[in-house]
Amino acid sequence: MEFLDEFFNYLSSVSPSKLVRVFWFFFFFEFVRFFLVDFTTVLLWKMTAVFRKKRVKEGRNLFWAEKPFVSIIVPGKNEGKHIYKLAVSLKEQTYQNFELIVVDDGSDDDTRAICNSLKRNGLIDIFLSNDVRGGKASAANLGLRYATGKFIIHMDADCSYDRDAVENILVPFYYDDKVGAVGGDVQVRNYKQSLCATLQAIEYTDTISVGRISQSQLGIYRIISGAFGAFRKEALQSVGGWDIGPGLDGDITVKIRKLGYQIHFEPTAICQTNVPVTFNALIRQRLRWDKSLIRFRLRKHSDVFFPNESFRISNFVSFVENITYSLVLNFKWYFYVIDMVLNFTSRLVFIIPMNFLLYTVNNYFKFIVFSLFRERKNVGAEYFMLYMPLMALYFGYFLRLVRTYAYLQELFFRRSYEDSWNPEKSSRQAKALRL
Amino acid sequence: MNRITENIQVVDHKINYSNLVFYVIDTTNSILNIDHTMGYDALILDASDPEYAHLVLRKIRGHYNPEFYLKPVFLLNFKEIKDPVLNKMHDGIMTSYDQIPQMAETAKRIFIKTTQLDNQLVPSFEGQTVKKVLNYMYTRDIRTLKPVVDLNSAIGYTYPELSVNFTSTEEPQVLEILEWADREGLIWPDFFERVYLCNNCSSGSLSYREVCPHCNSANSKSEDLVHHFPCAYIGPISDFQNNIDSSLNCPKCNKTLRHIGIDYDKPSVIHHCNNCDQNYQDAFIKSKCLSCEDDIDVKYLVPKNVNIYKLTRKGRSAATSGFLSSSQEVDDIFGTINMPTFRIMLHYELERLKELPAQKTSLALLHLENIFELYNKSGKKGERRLLEELVAVIRENIKSSDVIAFESSSTLYLMLTNTAKENAEQKLKNLSSLTENLVKKNFNNFKVNLLYKVSMLDTGKKAEVQLQELSKEFFA
Repeated sequence: MEFLDEFFNYLSSVSPSKLVRVFWFFFFFEFVRFFLVDFTTVLLWKMTAVFRKKRVKEGRNLFWAEKPFVSIIVPGKNEGKHIYKLAVSLKEQTYQNFELIVVDDGSDDDTRAICNSLKRNGLIDIFLSNDVRGGKASAANLGLRYATGKFIIHMDADCSYDRDAVENILVPFYYDDKVGAVGGDVQVRNYKQSLCATLQAIEYTDTISVGRISQSQLGIYRIISGAFGAFRKEALQSVGGWDIGPGLDGDITVKIRKLGYQIHFEPTAICQTNVPVTFNALIRQRLRWDKSLIRFRLRKHSDVFFPNESFRISNFVSFVENITYSLVLNFKWYFYVIDMVLNFTSRLVFIIPMNFLLYTVNNYFKFIVFSLFRERKNVGAEYFMLYMPLMALYFGYFLRLVRTYAYLQELFFRRSYEDSWNPEKSSRQAKALRL
Repeated sequence: MNRITENIQVVDHKINYSNLVFYVIDTTNSILNIDHTMGYDALILDASDPEYAHLVLRKIRGHYNPEFYLKPVFLLNFKEIKDPVLNKMHDGIMTSYDQIPQMAETAKRIFIKTTQLDNQLVPSFEGQTVKKVLNYMYTRDIRTLKPVVDLNSAIGYTYPELSVNFTSTEEPQVLEILEWADREGLIWPDFFERVYLCNNCSSGSLSYREVCPHCNSANSKSEDLVHHFPCAYIGPISDFQNNIDSSLNCPKCNKTLRHIGIDYDKPSVIHHCNNCDQNYQDAFIKSKCLSCEDDIDVKYLVPKNVNIYKLTRKGRSAATSGFLSSSQEVDDIFGTINMPTFRIMLHYELERLKELPAQKTSLALLHLENIFELYNKSGKKGERRLLEELVAVIRENIKSSDVIAFESSSTLYLMLTNTAKENAEQKLKNLSSLTENLVKKNFNNFKVNLLYKVSMLDTGKKAEVQLQELSKEFFA
């Protein structure tokens, strides 16, 4: 009680200028970028929806008039157990003019038998199987090699899709010729399975659902999730398909951006996926994702920062924003911590809970405000509210620490080339050739 | 006259020796007519023309008359060739007429054994055929039926002692008959090999090939899939080939592939169908029947065991004591009763007739002579269907008090109560015509040879005797 009294006394005594001085990291960077910018952009997007409506409707009509043949590629290893559900759910789609291509990347379980059986029964159109694992990129490329559709949709075997997801992800190609790829909205299906899954579900509603609307509007959308993405086939062929991962989703998006295509996020094309349910698995996943920022943004595609014939301002801004907010500010946060420790040592006992309170209030506020713009705004909302206070810890400390560790590993040791996510034979070549 | 030795002379194809008359068959004899040789004790077949010798020996051993098929046959001028009939169905090989004394001994042994045979007829096609084989085996001291590889046989194997009764295309019937004999407990199977037969015509002459799962064409081109590690490109090897040299260049990154396992590998193979332009990896295995030209998925082929069959105790004694069929395969066809029950009912009917001498009851035997050709084509299901339809037709045309029993899947008995022989014969004539039409209509114009025999029940004879007499009259 005595602490609370002192804490509230401190709060009431802090002047606005001092509040900004103490929480400068929050006010100058995070609040501006992840609330003000996102909110303004999404608000504008919503407000201008009426002007887009006609264009979208015409695009949809054009799409249905043409009924393009589409290839759905599902690469994966040991995914046989998921394929039946996926194939059956695809039969429910409002748009049916597609071929389903499943690529087995050297599975060592019953995947081959299952898929052959599904093919015989007409649930799979093309089944390609490699005896030895080559990695997800090569599996996707094999599917692409034999795909005959005008558009390619990349899906993950363990995901499920809204009935109109395939239709909705294709329509943007028909109201904007410059769109080279469209990303779908990936939501978390197993959000009640564990605390870890719940926190990720809240993160997905924030960064993926709303964050990507904002990025798409700003023209800086840079990662089409492998779980659900549609591409013009000629765009994919022009860039030679997918390159070695991890992080191939972001890589392929950047490669298509560099060709001059626009990348669109389609919030009505909804896909549900399962996220890791343990923190250990989550750490492994995020280390892989975060390392790819250094490997692809900073190294492989560093040409985006320099004037050359393929230079585009949108790509430049996208990369600068990404590097700034993900890499620079990540390390700057440690300066902020040092600043607090050195200059506000005696007040740390109040600053830490204050910081926590600030982020939590911001998170609630954002969640409620952004609910206005989200598809399926009621799904899990009450459930998420309960866990919202933990997001400050999850975002502010857990993910930040994981990210820092990943960046250091990749910056100094190029550890992404040792990730078992890729077969060693491919990683060895990629490392030797600095790919 | 051709004098060979002091005591042995060939006079007009005949050799008299030790009260036996041998007849020499050579190419001067017509193959078509060998009936005139029946009266001789033994035959000497000149095998210098193996094709001729094969046809003659086949004709002798395949004859229905024991006087013929049990006759001792010796081969002269025989050179070992791959002919199961010539190799297995003779009683001795002679290099010259000097060996006549030894052959005479063999012939006498066969005669003695022949006199011990039971001549009772078994009233079914299968029974008749098996009895014939058992007779031959008994007289030759053969205890095992061994399959022999035979390229001319429809199933690739032949059992000479049994197969000689069938043409090479009818070989699948041989397996059916062996299975029947096995069920009767006459022979005991010992696995030798398994063959797969066409589900349409039962032929084993099949050509297996990988076909496109989309259009069933075997016209395809196979290529290795190549995975280039550095850029993750993967495609058929033709994507990497060029027209200038033999090097492989990646179509995505233009690098030259150097070393398999280091910068590239071949994770799989892909087939391209030249017929329908589809690509596939898991080809279907289909077998083309070279006999009926049906293209069959291998899982629908009919597996059959080709066994070595040993005579059982029952089988060994069947030649000398006869045997009664206990087949129950066709017992449960609706509208029929089994043979034991039929015998009992026949017995009761005789008792009834004794009380009512004015009444007449007829006993009829109906035999579908060439029905096994149809069974071979239509399989077990077809056989069952045919028999059920046949019984339905008969049932519609006889009284409900009349009874039907299958002796085998080709032979059935009818007891036509209160029906005189003339009426019964008329009825059987009508049934024959109806049945022929039924088979023709339902089984691709197949023409069945339907034979029948009718007798009046005689209250002075036992039921079993009357059954035997009818079948003896019929099959004689």
